[in-house]
Amino acid sequence: MVRLAGGTVECAARRRLAYLPQLSAIDRDYPLSVAELISLGGWREIGAFRAPRSALRQRIAAVAETVGLSGRIERSIGEISVGEFQRALFARLILQDATVILLDEPFAGIDPQTMSVLLDQVTRWHQEGRTVIAVVHDLDLVQARFPSTLVLARRCLAWGATEMALPVMAA
Amino acid sequence: MSLHALIVEPFETLAFMRAALVACLALALMNGAVGTLLVLRRMSLDGEVLGHAVMPGAAVGFLYAGPSPLWLSLGGLASGLAVATLSGLITRAGARRDAGLVAFYLVALSLGVVLVAWRGSNVDVMRVLFGTVLAIDQRALLQIAALSSVIMIAIAALYRPLAVGAFDPAFLRAVGARAPYGAVFSALVVLALVASFQAFGTLLAVGPMLLPAAAARCWGLGAAVSMALAAGFGLAASIVGLLVSYHVDLPSGPVIVLTAGLLFGISLAAVNAVRRLAPTLARGA
Repeated sequence: MVRLAGGTVECAARRRLAYLPQLSAIDRDYPLSVAELISLGGWREIGAFRAPRSALRQRIAAVAETVGLSGRIERSIGEISVGEFQRALFARLILQDATVILLDEPFAGIDPQTMSVLLDQVTRWHQEGRTVIAVVHDLDLVQARFPSTLVLARRCLAWGATEMALPVMAA
Repeated sequence: MSLHALIVEPFETLAFMRAALVACLALALMNGAVGTLLVLRRMSLDGEVLGHAVMPGAAVGFLYAGPSPLWLSLGGLASGLAVATLSGLITRAGARRDAGLVAFYLVALSLGVVLVAWRGSNVDVMRVLFGTVLAIDQRALLQIAALSSVIMIAIAALYRPLAVGAFDPAFLRAVGARAPYGAVFSALVVLALVASFQAFGTLLAVGPMLLPAAAARCWGLGAAVSMALAAGFGLAASIVGLLVSYHVDLPSGPVIVLTAGLLFGISLAAVNAVRRLAPTLARGA
């Protein structure tokens, strides 16, 4: 995904990493139902060849409920709105059950209701002791919901507690 | 002329028409699956390039052993795989992808024509470029059927990773799928083109692969159903194309590709018309 400029990265949780791509990076014309998209989150269980068990199917229904997509699960991903599609991608992330979660501009172009659902999920992940790293441009949002901030503008400007790091931007 | 004389008789009386029909059936089944994945991956241009990449190798095979199906195929397979690898490396090196692909396409095509013309006649050049669907002998037919079967089985076995890789390749890497499914798929495309080029030539082999799949894709169906529909379109185009070329005395390969193109045009127009007339019905399309 990202090439290193130098050095090495040690990560014991290599296999427990989940990644939310930018919305524009995904082809929404692809013929896939919402349920199929979410079920990809169970890849570590089903892999390339096994069929999903009923326990997994129940968890798919449960995460769809969590992000408010219960009634949409049979729709194709081309039919639902951008916000609903982002909810489905979040449901896939929840199912992946990762310890480190990377979100690339998760709230860009998202409606307010969806945004509050997604932010609640980010908070829940945080409370569960998972590491959530998000790329966000909305500084008020960072102020309100994220405890640590890395300020990047081509190079690293500041890194630390949000109330310490953010003022660097203004200066 | 009776319907029987129009449709059944050519196949009933002429062995080469029957052989062509069976070859087209095998190729249509296989092309439905490969072509649909190619369209879903938005790799149509890659398919086109790989189609011509088969050419120089086939030409070397021709220089070595004359028009023997086995040597033409082995040569084509070798140069097709080489170009697939090279274009993968070029993309990784950060060159402009489209320009690189087109460069390969032009060089491969010219090199192939030069090689064949060096020792062969104009007829040989035409044969390699446009195929000889009406001159498929038993050995070529067996080879086409065997290759098509291998490709179908491989796609059936690897369906999930191939389909997910087409949709969201970064996800596949992130969940730790280690096999290089992109490269596997490119190899399958080369195999499919090698199977096709006996019948359709290196210039046209991509046609029966892409056009029915693109036509089927218009209808907005699921990937598996789309593959089946593409196979059906491919078969229909083959039958109509063979009959038209027989009755009107036109070259068969190009007529089959034209018929497939017509199906694509009809599908596009029909779906657009449906969408305009009944916007809610065509939501999925």
